[in-house]
Amino acid sequence: MPFPRLLALKRPDTKVLVEARDIKGLIRLLDHGDFDTQWRAARALGTMGNDATSLLLRVLENPNINIRLGVIEALASIRDPAAIKGLQGILASDETSELRWAAALALGEIGHQTVTPALLSALRDDDRYVRYGAAKALEQVGWSAETDQDRAFYYIALQDWDAIKKLGKSATGPLIDRLKERHPAIRAQIIEILGSIGGVEPRRSCEQGLRDPDGDVRWRAVLSSSRCGVPTSQLPMGLSKRPRTGPSVFGATLLNFFFLGLGYDYLGKWWGLLILETYMTLIVLAQLELSPFMPFMTFMPFIIAYPVTAIFATQTFFMAKRESDLSV
Amino acid sequence: MVDLSALFGQKKADIKKLTAAKDISGLIRALHSSDMNTQSEAAKALGSLGPAAMDALIRALKKRGKVIRLVIIQALTEIRDPKSVPVLIETLKDESSEVRWEAAIALGEIGEPQAIEPLITCLRDHDKYVRLGAAFSLARIGWKPPNDEEKAFLFVGMQEWKAVQLIGNSAIPALTNILHDRHSNVRIRAIEILGELKSTQATPALIQSLADENSEVRWKAVLASPKCGIKLMHLPRGLSRRPKLKKNPLIAGFLNFMIPGVGYAYIGKWWGVMIYEVDIFATVWAFKFLGEEFTYWTLLPLDLLLALHAYYITTKMPEPSI
Repeated sequence: MPFPRLLALKRPDTKVLVEARDIKGLIRLLDHGDFDTQWRAARALGTMGNDATSLLLRVLENPNINIRLGVIEALASIRDPAAIKGLQGILASDETSELRWAAALALGEIGHQTVTPALLSALRDDDRYVRYGAAKALEQVGWSAETDQDRAFYYIALQDWDAIKKLGKSATGPLIDRLKERHPAIRAQIIEILGSIGGVEPRRSCEQGLRDPDGDVRWRAVLSSSRCGVPTSQLPMGLSKRPRTGPSVFGATLLNFFFLGLGYDYLGKWWGLLILETYMTLIVLAQLELSPFMPFMTFMPFIIAYPVTAIFATQTFFMAKRESDLSV
Repeated sequence: MVDLSALFGQKKADIKKLTAAKDISGLIRALHSSDMNTQSEAAKALGSLGPAAMDALIRALKKRGKVIRLVIIQALTEIRDPKSVPVLIETLKDESSEVRWEAAIALGEIGEPQAIEPLITCLRDHDKYVRLGAAFSLARIGWKPPNDEEKAFLFVGMQEWKAVQLIGNSAIPALTNILHDRHSNVRIRAIEILGELKSTQATPALIQSLADENSEVRWKAVLASPKCGIKLMHLPRGLSRRPKLKKNPLIAGFLNFMIPGVGYAYIGKWWGVMIYEVDIFATVWAFKFLGEEFTYWTLLPLDLLLALHAYYITTKMPEPSI
C-alpha cells in the first residue's frame, strides 16, 4: 500500500498542479531532482497562458539557475510579448551564458519583430552557444541580413566557415573582432580564413596570432602569415614575443629557495609537497631544539638551511628553463 | 651479417633442446623472449608437442599476468588448433582490453565459425580496439551481417563512418552504443552521424549526450539536436545536467577554518600549501613562546577571517563555461 504513495512523492504529478492552476507549485518543481519532472513542469507552465506571465517574470530574478531556465522555457511557449523586455534584459547582461542562450532562443520563439536589435547584438556575444542561439532565433523571426557585417557575424555564429570565406573582404572586421574568442579551435579557424582573405588588417591579426597563448593557433598563424605577405624571416621573432603561459622560471627558483619543495609543486611535480613537508618539519624541530638560546637562535636553522636550498634553487632554475623551452 | 645473438648465447633459449626435452614450461618461458623468431619457434614447438602442451598453455592463460596472457594468445594463434577456440572465447571477457583485443584477432586467424556469436557480442564492447579486432575477425571468417542493424555494428567496429551513415536509421543502436566510448573523438563522430541521419529516433541518444562531460561533445550534440527534431528551446536545460566542476564555497570555508590554507588548495590555488605551512610554523612557534591560551585567542579570529575569505572567493569564482 505505501509503496505507490512513495513513488508518487518521488515523482510529483504535474497534472494535478495544472488543474489546480498552482503556478507557484509548478515553479518549485522546476528545481526538482528528477530531470523529467523539471521538464514536465516547464511544459505545464507553458500552457498557463498570459495570466502567468507577470508571476513568471518576477521569478526570473530567482538565484536558482534551474528555475530560471524553466521559467524562460515556459515564457517561450506562452509567447506573451510582455515578456520580451525581461528576456532582453537577461540576454544583454546576465553573467550565466546558459541563461543568455535560453533567452535568445525564447525571444526567437516569441517571434516579435522588435526583438531583432537585441538578437543582433547577441550575435556578437562572447559565448558560442549564445551566438548560435541568437542566429537561430533570427532565422525564426524571419530576419535577413541588411549589411555584410551582420551577415558575417551571423555566419560566424553558425560556425559556417565556408560561407564566411565566400564573403571575402567584408568579413574581415567581424572576424578580427572574434579573435578574442575563448576556444582556441575557433581562433585557429578565424586566423586561417583571415590568411586566405589577405590584406593589411588580416596581416596585422596574423602577426598578433603569432603571439597567441595556444600552440595550435600560433602554428596556423605561421601558415597564414606567409600567405598574407609577412616576411618569413620575421616569423621566429614574432613567435618569440608570445606570452610564457607556463610557470615562471624565477618564481619557481625563489619559491624553492625560501620554501624548499614548493617550487617543485608550482612546476607541477607532485613530490614537491613531500619535500616541503620534510623541510619544514626539520626546520621546526631544529628551532624547538635550539629554543633555550632564544630568541636569537630561532634564526639559526635558516642560516644553515639557506645554502642548501640555494643549491636546490639553482637546480630548479635550470630544470624550469629547460621545460619552458620545450614547446614553441 | 654478423650474428650478434651469439654474444647473448646464454640468454637465448635453445628451442630445439627444449623441444627434445619436452620442457613445456621452459618453452612457455621462451614465449617471453623479445626476439620474434624465438617466440614463434617456441610457439610452433609447443604446437608440435600435442595436447599436453596445449593444456599447459591453457592453464597458464587462466593464471598468469597480462603480458604472458598476450604472449600465450599469440602462441595459440600460431598453433591454430581449433581446440583452443573455447578458451579464447572465454578470454573475450577478460578484464584487460588488450587481452580481449588480442583474443578477438586470434579467433579471426583460427577462423572457426563457432567464434562468430561471441565476436558479434564483442562488436558491442566499450573499447574501440576490441571492436576493431572483432569486426576484422568477423570479416575474415566470412560472416555476413543478417540485417542492417548488425551491419551497422560491424561498420562502427571498423570505423567506416561513411558506410555507417549510408545504412540510415538502422545504425542508431550501433551509434548509441559508442556514445559511452572513453575517447571523445569517437563520441563526436557518432553524434555527427546521428545528426546527419535527421531522424527523431536519435533523440534520446542526443539528449543524453547534451550532458556529456566533454565540452566539445556537448557542442556537437547541440548542433546535431535540431536536425533530429529536438526543439532548440529545450537545449539549455539539457546542458544544465552536465557534470559541474564548481567548488563548494562551504567546503572551502570549512577547510580553511580547520586547517588554514587547505581551503585554498581545495579550490586549486597552489599557494594554499604555503599558507598551510606558514600557519603550522606560526602555531608551533606561538605555542612555545607565547603560551597556549594566547595562541588560541590570536589564531581563532585569524582562522575565521581566512575561512570567510576562502568562502567569498569561491562564490565569486566563475561557473565553468558551458
